[in-house]
Amino acid sequence: MNTAHLFLPALLGLVTAASALPAADACCGAPGRPAAATAALSDRSIYQLDATWTTDAGMPFTLAELRGRPVVLAMFFTSCGYACPRIVEAMTQIRQALPAAMRDRARFVLVSFDDQHDTVAVLQAYRVQHGLDPARWVLLRGAPDDIRELAAVLGVSYQKDAAGLFSHSNLITILNGEGEIAHQRAGLEGGLAEAARAVVAAGNAGRGR
Amino acid sequence: MNPLPSIHSVRLALLLGAGWLATSAGAEVRPVPPSGMVLLPAGVYTPLLRDAVDPAKIPVAAFWLDERPVTNGEFLAFVQAEARWRRSRVSPLFADRQYLANWAGDLEPGAQAPVNVPVVRISWFAARAYAKWAGKRLPTTAEWERAAGAGYRGPAAKAEADFTARALAWYSAPTPAVLPASGSGPVNFYGARDLLDLVWEWVDDFNSAMVTGESRADGGLERNLFCGSGSVSAGDREDYPAFMRLGYRSSLRANYTVANLGFRCARNLAQDLAPQAVPDPSTDLFPSSPSILLPAP
Repeated sequence: MNTAHLFLPALLGLVTAASALPAADACCGAPGRPAAATAALSDRSIYQLDATWTTDAGMPFTLAELRGRPVVLAMFFTSCGYACPRIVEAMTQIRQALPAAMRDRARFVLVSFDDQHDTVAVLQAYRVQHGLDPARWVLLRGAPDDIRELAAVLGVSYQKDAAGLFSHSNLITILNGEGEIAHQRAGLEGGLAEAARAVVAAGNAGRGR
Repeated sequence: MNPLPSIHSVRLALLLGAGWLATSAGAEVRPVPPSGMVLLPAGVYTPLLRDAVDPAKIPVAAFWLDERPVTNGEFLAFVQAEARWRRSRVSPLFADRQYLANWAGDLEPGAQAPVNVPVVRISWFAARAYAKWAGKRLPTTAEWERAAGAGYRGPAAKAEADFTARALAWYSAPTPAVLPASGSGPVNFYGARDLLDLVWEWVDDFNSAMVTGESRADGGLERNLFCGSGSVSAGDREDYPAFMRLGYRSSLRANYTVANLGFRCARNLAQDLAPQAVPDPSTDLFPSSPSILLPAP
């Protein structure tokens, strides 16, 4: 199924030949790359969303780069004073609860709601402040449309208020190696042991492929 | 509908940023709408639920809105052009199993889905993809509600008992097996039809409603599930249809398809396709015009 480039902007979408877009293909895992390089994505994989995000190192990043690993992902924003620090703390606790091997394989991804305030520099500072290991944690910012779409596939609701802060669902999502939603932990209380077990299961399931 | 369809007005509108113009006589000259769209002048939206810090009224920049919901015939042209959105090929991530289930086939709407009837059983992703394909976008909640807030004769539906009665009657009526034709309803104050009495409609930010759908938790924001200042308040407790829409939207997921859920598209006046839920005052399209903000409904 050729759905990898569904969500390029309309103008790009009109250019049907993937070969006309080598630059986009290089970063997005769009249909330009050799078919043999990877098997087709599962049709439930959120990696079908091929948005290009930007890391806190200023590098382009597509979620499909996480393929093959269990992923613990949450949406957040750095100026969030209430729930987001607790979500990051919960993700840290999930990580602590993993067996050592899985702790190394899993990736912990934070995607910001705040395309205005959460610049590369702000994300960088957040990483330092929270001591998030660059080898394990991925911090991303992106375009408003891509943020809306990712939230939509995850089932995350959010809304910006007049002060520039966001109301949002408190949701931690576990993805398996195919980028399929394996488990979600809703809310701020409990559920950490289940989430950790889900990461292990997701990681083991992905291994055979 | 379109008072100035001439080349000259098009040119004038283009020259002047497609904004509203004041002629020497002081009369307003409207830019020429794209085919099938109507102008929603800049105004305000009064959100139903809001944060303590939010103003009661949110400015909404002027935009174009489809006069009526997108039809099966129009959606057929889209799936003919974009094979990945055909019923047999769509990814379950982007549309559930009932996607276009009322169609006779991949490229055949059939008797249950006449070409002039609103397309339904389409997901948010599909509606969004159609809009992009058409060079448009989905309206935001603020934009849609602003359009739907108008009555037949004025910008405030609440002042018109016959309008409100029709909207309420629709909520209580069952969905017919075959829907009425798109555009068959009366025009509202802005020239749009069928906003409140034909199908529910997707909005771009449908997933902005902080309602859990769990009645025991819906005392406002559920602080455990949602992060916010926690003190939301209702803008207008009597606007029952608006509460219905809020609840309805919050019950949706982006890949859901429903037998009476369709959509229509919007477009920015400035041709910038990015939706603006809350326009930044610093990027106001027409900052110098004092006549942009209509009186609050």
